[in-house]
Amino acid sequence: MKRGSISKLLIANRGEIALRIIRTARQLGLATVAVYSDADADAAHVAAADDARLIGPPEASQSYLNIAAIIEAAHATGADAIHPGYGFLSERPEFARAVDEAGMIFVGPPADVMAALGDKVAARRLAAGVGVAVVPGLETVEDRAAEQFAARVGFPLMVKAAAGGGGRGMRLVQAQAGLAEALAAAAREAKAAFGDGRVFLEKYLAQPRHVEVQVLADQHGGVVALGERDCSIQRRNQKIIEESPAPGLDDGLRTRMVEAALKVARVAGYRNAGTMEFLVEGGEFYFLEANTRLQVEHPVTEMRFGCDLVDEQLRVAMGERVGLPAAPRGAAIECRIYAEDAEQNFRPATGDALYLNLPAGPGVRIDTHLMTGARVTAFYDGLLGKLICWGADREQARVRMAAALGEFSLLGITNTAAFLRDVIASEAFREARLSTRFLERFFPRWSPNDEALESLLVAAAMAAGGAIGAARPISSASSSSRGARSDGGRSERGGRSPWAELAGFEPWGRGER
Amino acid sequence: MRLKRQGDAREFEVELLGQNRQDNADQGDADGRRAVRIAIDGREIAASVATMPDGSAMVDLGGRRARVAGARRRSSIVAAAGPFAAEFVMIEGRTAHRTGGLAAPEVDAPMPGKVLKVLVAEGQPVEHGDPLIVLEAMKMETTLYAESPAIVAKICVVAGQMVDHGARLIELSPAAISAKPPESPSRDD
Repeated sequence: MKRGSISKLLIANRGEIALRIIRTARQLGLATVAVYSDADADAAHVAAADDARLIGPPEASQSYLNIAAIIEAAHATGADAIHPGYGFLSERPEFARAVDEAGMIFVGPPADVMAALGDKVAARRLAAGVGVAVVPGLETVEDRAAEQFAARVGFPLMVKAAAGGGGRGMRLVQAQAGLAEALAAAAREAKAAFGDGRVFLEKYLAQPRHVEVQVLADQHGGVVALGERDCSIQRRNQKIIEESPAPGLDDGLRTRMVEAALKVARVAGYRNAGTMEFLVEGGEFYFLEANTRLQVEHPVTEMRFGCDLVDEQLRVAMGERVGLPAAPRGAAIECRIYAEDAEQNFRPATGDALYLNLPAGPGVRIDTHLMTGARVTAFYDGLLGKLICWGADREQARVRMAAALGEFSLLGITNTAAFLRDVIASEAFREARLSTRFLERFFPRWSPNDEALESLLVAAAMAAGGAIGAARPISSASSSSRGARSDGGRSERGGRSPWAELAGFEPWGRGER
Repeated sequence: MRLKRQGDAREFEVELLGQNRQDNADQGDADGRRAVRIAIDGREIAASVATMPDGSAMVDLGGRRARVAGARRRSSIVAAAGPFAAEFVMIEGRTAHRTGGLAAPEVDAPMPGKVLKVLVAEGQPVEHGDPLIVLEAMKMETTLYAESPAIVAKICVVAGQMVDHGARLIELSPAAISAKPPESPSRDD
């Protein structure tokens, strides 16, 4: 892997993270290139970058996962570095290798280091090799061996994919009867998501907390840690609320965990921002896996340490040394707002953003690609945005988060903001009774309370009333202005304005004179 | 106006009783607010409303304030009140299908996602509880099952296809030896 300066950065991603990376690149004086699929022609990241290239149809497998098309886009635009963001190709060693072979800088670890750490089985061995505890598990999964392992450690067991992350390819098995089927289903999901169907078994901890350590490593052997994040609140094994510091964590345990994270990073020869994930239960911690990329929840660390992790990533990629981080201040919490229905077991939702109000205020940060008129499709992950709040202490951050979520308003796409507001406002969260079973325990089912329902019905009645005899059809004005945009090649989107579907949408009280 | 919130079994009778249209932004009273009266299931609610140029409004419901927005679609209303969002279906009389003993004559996608597997073929008889189709959304596999005995009349999708919420997946017709039709079949109205 070569070192050198970067002048033009291609971002091989979409959504909020593409926007977030473009922001920092611009602050560093780098030119930026966005890539996009047919479904994203109107997306915010395309407009934000200096240049943009279409890389394929909406299906991720043919666009955002299409290594050849992305390398070609980089060549065509003269980019000399590629940032993978998170998800998509960010943890595919073959992508890192392809970028390297194309003579460009990959903003991430060397391909072989990524391969070693990204494989959960190999990473477990690596950690165990330097004396870091891992969850009892079984690496080679044949039905017979799996049965024996199950007999030894007992159910429930967790089936996990060796590759990838984000909860994909994970299955909880309660009893012998479901074991073979869970192994097969997890292997199928893993094969579909990562092209690698290898799975392994782990003992299932009853009430663990998920705590992870942010590390930053350069190519000169410098490795630093930037505190920890508690990411215990999850649905479908995917985080939705993260915070730093991890509340109530024993200082001794924290210190030992940070040391373990640094040890794993060092022995792996890591370079780049990265995360070492642990499960914490009963005063012990177990290494879980390494994430060799920027995390979704990285802003939590940025808010507390006053740093910019993308800036650090780019500097490391250019061969600079990592410095000692500043002392952390206060506490930070992140809520991920998804296009999902919290009342229907977080079923994914799609739609068009008809109205959007974003929160603001002291200590409030929002990372989002949402805008009025934006369309959310089923093609990609449903993350709409991340709300991050900082406070002098956890309680101030929590109160700010509750208020900020209360300000957030999105019409037209079912989303989790109201659910998150209720979680943040709950006694269980205030008292930090955190475990990965938090939602099962405290929010097994959720629906808007009666006051919220009344407000919604009032809003519905007013919307219906306001639309009667609408004399000023905003819809036609809006769609014609969209159609008139000089966006060569995207004209087919012109007729799909979300406003066109509405019988009438107008500022209340001004329609009828 | 009878409204049913998506995902909620309850129905609500909602009526906009009146609004003081004189007090709009051009010639409003001192604080620019106007009064709106709404009935929910016969219970009258008085709201004080300040409209905003972006199409939303700040609504005061007896001291409880919410920023609300809403839009009317063809047969539904989408509404937001602060972070809460909902879609209400407008119920206009009964529109019961003649389903000939079927729980439902069609199977629609309950969520956007990808068709992973189609487990039945056209013309195939199915029993209550038979798996019909496997969808994948958000990394999860979801199997849709037959809710009553039927014959698969038409398969509208193929494996690998992306579908939106509500997309028609399968059409069913009554099974040959069907359970008795409903005693007094409701006529379409």
